[in-house]
Amino acid sequence: MSPKAIRYRANSIIYFKGDVSDKIYILNSGKVSLNYTDIETGQEMHELIKTGEFFGVKSALGRYPREETAVVLADSAVIAFSVPEFEMLVSKNTRIIMKMLKVFSNQLRRIHKQVQNLLYSEEQVNPETGLFKIGEYYMSNKRYHQALYAYRRYLVYYPTGIHAQEATKKIELAEEYLQKYGQGKGPSVKGMVKEAPVQKKKTKEMSNVAQQYYNAVSLIGQQKYEQAYNEFKKIIEQGNDEEYLAKSRYEIGRCLFFMNRFDDCIKSFTELIQRYPTHPDLKEALFFVGKSYQEKGDTTKAKGFYNKILSMVSEEEPLYRKVKRALKSLKEG
Amino acid sequence: MNGINSMFDRFGVTFQRGDIIFCEFEPGDNFYLIQSGRVQILKIMGDIEKTIDILQPGEIFGEMAILEEAPRSATAIALDEVKALEFNRENFEILMQGNPQIALKLLKLFTKRIYDQKRRFMILTLEDIEARVADVFLMLAEKSPQEEETNKRVFSTTVDDIAHWAGMSPAKCREVLNHFAAQRRIEIYSDRIVVKNINDFARFVSSRRKQRE
Repeated sequence: MSPKAIRYRANSIIYFKGDVSDKIYILNSGKVSLNYTDIETGQEMHELIKTGEFFGVKSALGRYPREETAVVLADSAVIAFSVPEFEMLVSKNTRIIMKMLKVFSNQLRRIHKQVQNLLYSEEQVNPETGLFKIGEYYMSNKRYHQALYAYRRYLVYYPTGIHAQEATKKIELAEEYLQKYGQGKGPSVKGMVKEAPVQKKKTKEMSNVAQQYYNAVSLIGQQKYEQAYNEFKKIIEQGNDEEYLAKSRYEIGRCLFFMNRFDDCIKSFTELIQRYPTHPDLKEALFFVGKSYQEKGDTTKAKGFYNKILSMVSEEEPLYRKVKRALKSLKEG
Repeated sequence: MNGINSMFDRFGVTFQRGDIIFCEFEPGDNFYLIQSGRVQILKIMGDIEKTIDILQPGEIFGEMAILEEAPRSATAIALDEVKALEFNRENFEILMQGNPQIALKLLKLFTKRIYDQKRRFMILTLEDIEARVADVFLMLAEKSPQEEETNKRVFSTTVDDIAHWAGMSPAKCREVLNHFAAQRRIEIYSDRIVVKNINDFARFVSSRRKQRE
């Protein structure tokens, strides 16, 4: 067996979408087009293969069905390789593999991002709390060694994070138990985790913040968005009340939307969602992100966010109808 | 494989048995090629630990680190003393150039990842949440082709896993599954879910996908 030179007449097909085959091709001369449906837009795409270029690589190497139909547009000559033949060829020429690795890693990066955009908050655990909880898991299973790793990494990435104090305490404890009892032999440590407790002690200060906050909200009501924005910013900068901090971070995103600063609005809400994955106004935040994309003319992203929200709200919620309306306006626009 | 030995001097790392190599949710900078020893890939879900894979010498893991800003999606622990080559975005080109076999391995891994992510994207773009859950079953069926000529498929997949693939909360996913069960399209057991007619799901999903277009 060796690579085979094959000639194709114009208008013939080298392979069809859905075919399963281990053949990889290189175009020697002629004109070949790969036709496929773009998964994001649903559009029919045509991609011309350049002379000397490989095609059919991914599906052959990954052993999955062809994702495109290879159509011969003008009489062409190709060389067909089996996977082992292809491997032999490229092993002697690492530059080819490097080039492909680059192309593939870019594709992977792109599709990964597209998937993440669709998933957004609901599916994703906040990495900060996620990492801390891994430490907690090992701590409760007396696997102090692993717990130490997780807590220490936590402190590396989030030295002033919401679980930093707790992590520091647990590290001391884990070290102590590891010495005293040894891995797997000491007590199981569970709980003591409080997530971002609302500090009630500064009653006076809090009422001040509350007042500041409601003033700013009423500025939005009066459509004085710039002023409102500045007020919320002040509250955030003071940063001494967790509850109003979270609320203000949400309102500031709304202000940005009304000020037509859509990119900033998206950025602001994205940060909010990452910081507070269980924020009470999370769905509304997603709605504003969707609307900002719509305003920017990125209907695909807007649609992604709207659909995302629909999967989170029940039909009775007012937001459901709002989103439905927005989706309708997308179609009409 | 002399090249690998000299590379180990420069890029080799050793982990003791039980060491965490990286933790889920950590930002990922490095990826690894196992030289010796086994590595367990796992996820912690609440109070349970779920093994996703056990990797052998010659296998690559953590390769998603090649993507920017992707936190680790699972935890890797050394099951034995593990010797591995450590790669990162900066050094991997140099490493690959002298080692076509490793580069090829990575190339194959990327093709698989791209396919998986594309498939996931297809699922997530379905508007109808029932169709999304049905499409998860189709994807699972594609991954483990069955020789027998029957439409019935058995999946030992948990509701949480299906919810994860379908991009919805486990509660919502359970609702959809219960609805399918009420329609007698599936049967839910504690350790498995039986899809009575996978072709029925295929038709259902493709009709919903067409509507979208």
